[in-house]
This record gives sequence, structure tokens and C-alpha cells, in this order.
Amino acid sequence: MDGTISINGMGIVCAIGGDRQAVLDSLLRKESGIGPMQYLPSRHRDIPVGEVKMSTGQMKRLLGIADDAQVSRTSVMGALAVREALAQAGLDAASLAGKRVALISGTTVGVMDVTEQVYGKTEEGVEVPQGNECGRSTEEIAAFSGLGGASCCTICTACSSALNAIMLGCEMLKNDEADLVVAGGSEPLSRYHLNGFNSLMILDRQRCRPFDDSREGLNLGEGAAFVVLEKDAPEGLAYIGGYANRCDAFHQTATSKDGDGAFLAMRDALKMAGIGPEKIGYINAHGTGTPDNDASESAAFRRVFGDTIPDMSSTKSYTGHTTSASGAVETVICVLAMQNGFVPASLGWSRMIPGGFAPTMGRTGVCLDYVMCNSFGFGGNDSSMILCRKRPAPAPVPLRDAAQVRLVARRSVCSDEELSALKEFLSPMETRRMGKIMKASLLSAFLALRDRGLSCPDAIVTATSRGMLECSTLFLEDIAANDEQLLKPTLFMQSTHNTIGSAIAIRTGCHGYNITYSQGDRSLEWAVRDAAMRLRTGEARNVLVCAFDETLSGGRTAQFAAESRIYTLEES
Amino acid sequence: MDELLYNLKLQIIDALNLEDMTPEDIDDDAPLFGDGLGLDSIDALELIVILDKHYGIKLASPAQGKEVFKSINCIADYIRKNRSK
Repeated sequence: MDGTISINGMGIVCAIGGDRQAVLDSLLRKESGIGPMQYLPSRHRDIPVGEVKMSTGQMKRLLGIADDAQVSRTSVMGALAVREALAQAGLDAASLAGKRVALISGTTVGVMDVTEQVYGKTEEGVEVPQGNECGRSTEEIAAFSGLGGASCCTICTACSSALNAIMLGCEMLKNDEADLVVAGGSEPLSRYHLNGFNSLMILDRQRCRPFDDSREGLNLGEGAAFVVLEKDAPEGLAYIGGYANRCDAFHQTATSKDGDGAFLAMRDALKMAGIGPEKIGYINAHGTGTPDNDASESAAFRRVFGDTIPDMSSTKSYTGHTTSASGAVETVICVLAMQNGFVPASLGWSRMIPGGFAPTMGRTGVCLDYVMCNSFGFGGNDSSMILCRKRPAPAPVPLRDAAQVRLVARRSVCSDEELSALKEFLSPMETRRMGKIMKASLLSAFLALRDRGLSCPDAIVTATSRGMLECSTLFLEDIAANDEQLLKPTLFMQSTHNTIGSAIAIRTGCHGYNITYSQGDRSLEWAVRDAAMRLRTGEARNVLVCAFDETLSGGRTAQFAAESRIYTLEES
Repeated sequence: MDELLYNLKLQIIDALNLEDMTPEDIDDDAPLFGDGLGLDSIDALELIVILDKHYGIKLASPAQGKEVFKSINCIADYIRKNRSK
């Protein structure tokens, strides 16, 4: 019983294949899945994408779901990947009976693909989803993959969601909060985020060229991947060596020049794994192909590895950027690389970024003992994970007593009158883009921190059922009213669920752990549970938990409420 | 104030949510980014939308905007030379 966490099953659906074998074959043949749009009903047919080569209807039929059932593409892709992972781990309903099973999924689109189809077209009285309702997609994945009894949890940290979901799975097993975890992520293409990324002008009109000097942006992809995680299993397909979730705390969409968040995540993941950077045989980079990411990730590589780095590639050149699912898609690719002794090539590269690094053109016949997988998200939610081919040496973490966790400050803000107090903390220039829910959340956080005499928390955990409902509705309206053209980037950049968590980090300078939960009315419960785990493992001495939600009337915020809490550990 | 400058400032105030400002508050020659008005990369994208929507000017990338968006006068000059509506 050494506490080792192993990966015992994997499932994957993405642009280069509908299962593990197909994905492996495409990687070895160096065949990209990026091409012209076939399934997404968008007017932007000139933008290349990495689509799963099946319609939602075809996937529904594979899962035995009725044709007329209104089901998100997120849910069907996710269910296919979970099914494959469970089958590889040899698990079924009978073997799972009596076990505490958690299904943790990373997504940001959630059921938005359904919402955007019905937006503005429905009759009164017909129930339609509002915004993304991310937690709902995870519950559907559980129902369609035979995990009906699992405890569902959804992580929304934009493009690092799935890697953070896998990390949460590891933490739950270490903290004895679950017996078995299925963790990963699912993200379909949607008109919503295709137009959002387009408004940010970071979509390449050609195939993406990660780490190339001529790169002009990313290609969006879609997919789902899940892994079965267990503690103390006799053997696994691979083992989790270490991981870290850190925050760039710089800007909502831009990255710091020296890649502060990326550097901290890689450094601390290596520290947890107890190895030096020279042990890493392969880095699966975040490598989106945007000018910003690849430059700052390269700068961060130099800070961690020095002037020579291990074989490094971005497999987004095959799959496209599968956004919230990318951390899980790339974890599965890393394990396939370790199992089959090869390094995946970076496609599309020919010219070095001045002062950058050349990615690998692929190698076979290699032995990879340790690989690093990076996933960075909007708001600077940066995560890194170290995977090991062989069982790592045990590194037990002593847990503090759960009874020592204390709630020491609590502030809520839920009326217009209260919002004027935000002037004490932020200038009008700083608040000009903020909706009421953002203002209320920041104010409650500042007040709770001040009550406790803190200027910067060690970790930030946020919770929301429906996220930035006003912003996302305004952006949906913008898409519909302007036929997907000349849309407001300001609306999109503030519409992800982790916007508030990262805004608090930016304003307080918090580079520590930063995560966002969205699981209906259980969101806050998950956040508090996470705060307790941070405190018990000693990763944080204090944790800021901020829960927020809003309701709409006529597309604008009607009611809103935000509550911030500070948790600490009472020293015995 | 020149009509183009005035309208441009109104469009910027609206798109960038500069709620408490009037066109008179924005200096024609002051830097818009960095130490001046203090705009950021998202504002630059909003300015690109303004140029396209109101003046029929398409910028290929945010990098191209860096030269154009130095000040209100720089943007107005660029509009006069390149506008298609």
C-alpha cells in the first residue's frame, strides 16, 4: 500500500480516431485529422478544424440513445471515451458495485452546442438549457456509460480543465474520498467558441504550426478522453508521478512574457515527482500555435530545462486544440507513446522562433520513463503533469486531520447598493468591462480577505452552477444578430466559468492553485471539499472559496449573489 | 472637434465601456496603450472591430494594429487614408 496512483484504463475520441488504436495508428503514420469543416453548422467554412469524423446522431446510435433525444455532443463523445476506458480496465456495473466511484469531467462548452441550436427559436414553456450548464453534460456522460451511480463533478478552467480533472481524481484517491475515479474531459466544437476564438483573432486559416516562426494561431479541435485512476493497484498502464496547477495571474487572455504560470506548474510538478528535469524523455507541450502561447511556453521551458530541452512536440498539430478536453486527450497520447516507445512528431514545423526551441519530428524505438504533459487555459490556469512508465518510488504525503479545517471569514454581496464599495479596491478603468456578477464576486473576495488580514490567498477555488450567464447570453445574441461576424471579443473573454477565479488571482497576485467547479447546486460543496484537501495536504495554509451565480431577465442580470469564504487549518 | 475624431471617440467609449468618459476627456495625441489611457490587448481587438464595422477597414492581425492604434490622431489618419465607408 504505497499510495501510488495508476492509470488502468483509457478511452479517447478525437479527430485522429474514435478509439485508442486508431489514434495510435494516426500518430505513427504522422497523419493529421485537421481539415475542412464537415459537421459544425457555421458560416466560417474557411476555418480548418479537427472534427471527430462522426455526426452526433451516429455517436448516439453507437450508445443506443434514441434519435430524437436532445443530447449534447459533449455527452456522447464523453460517454464513448468513458466506455472504452472502463472496458480496458475490465470494469463493469458488477465490479463497481459497492465502490465509491467519481466521474470527473473537464468541459467549458458543456451543453452549449444544444443551447446555441435552440437559442431564440423555442416556444414558451419548452425547457431549454441556459448557457453551458457544464455539470449537466457530466451527468449525461455518467448515465450513457454505465456510471449511473457515480458521483459527478465538473471542472471548468477552460483549456486546462481535463488535466485539472485528472489531478483532482488523484487528490481524491490520496485523500480517501473515492475508491475509483474516472477522470478526463469532453469538448465538442461549437459555433459559440469558434466565433469566440475568431473574435480574439487567434485562429489560423491554414493548418496550425506550433512553435514555428510563421505560426498564426490555433485550429480548434474536438474530442473526449478519460482515464481510470486507482490507488495501490498491483499494476497500471502508467503511473502519475506528479502534478501542479498554478496561475499566471497576468491577464484574462494574454500570457506573461516569461511564462510565469507555466514555469511554476512545470517546476512544481517535477518537485512532486521527486525528479530533476533531465529525467524527462518527452514533453507534450501545450503548443497551441498562437504567437503568444508558443513564445511564453518556450520562455518557460528555458527557465525549467535550460538551453537544451528533451524531445518536445505539440500533438495539437494532429487533433487541433481540443480546448477543455486537451489535457486528457494528450495524457492518453503520452501513455500511448510510453507504451509503444515512440515520440509523436510535431507537424507543420519548419522555422525556429528566434530564441525558441525546435520541436521533434518524431522518433521510434525509444524508451520513455518519464513524460511531461502541459495544459494551459484562459485566465492563466496553467497545469503540468508528470507520467511514469514504471511504478515510482513511494512518496507519502502526511494528511492533516480533517477536523482542523476552519471557516474563518465569510462575506456575501447580492445587491446593487453594495457594489459601490468596490471603488475602495478598483478604479473605474479596471471595472469598466465587469458585469454585476464579476463585481459582486471580486468585492466579496476583497472583503473576506481583508477581514482575515490577507492581501493574497494561497489558493483560489470558485464554484458556479451556470457561470457567466449574462456574458454568454449576450455573446449568443451577438452571434445570432450579426450572423457570426464582427463579434465583441470583450463578451467572449469574460464568458468562461473560470473568469472570476482568474480575475481574483490577477487582482491579488495569487500564483497558487486555482480551480473552478460547476456541478449544479453541488458546486459549492465540491469547492469546499477541494479547499479542505488543499489544507490537509499542506499545499495551502489558507484557501479562498468564492461561489457565485446570477439569474437573467430579458438577457440581462436580474438577481445575483456572490459569497467568499476563507478556510484555514487550525494548528493543534 | 473634427467630426471624424468626435464620432471615433464616441465609438471607442461605447465599445470599450469607458462609462465615465466623454470625447473631450480623450487627448488626440496621448498614447492609448501602456502609460496613456491604459488599454490592453482585448481593447485592441475591439478597435479592430470598430474599424471594420464603421469604416470598412480590415486589419489582418493585432500586430498590424500596434502601429495604427498609437493615438486617436493616428487612428483618424489611418481611417482617412483607407476607409471604404
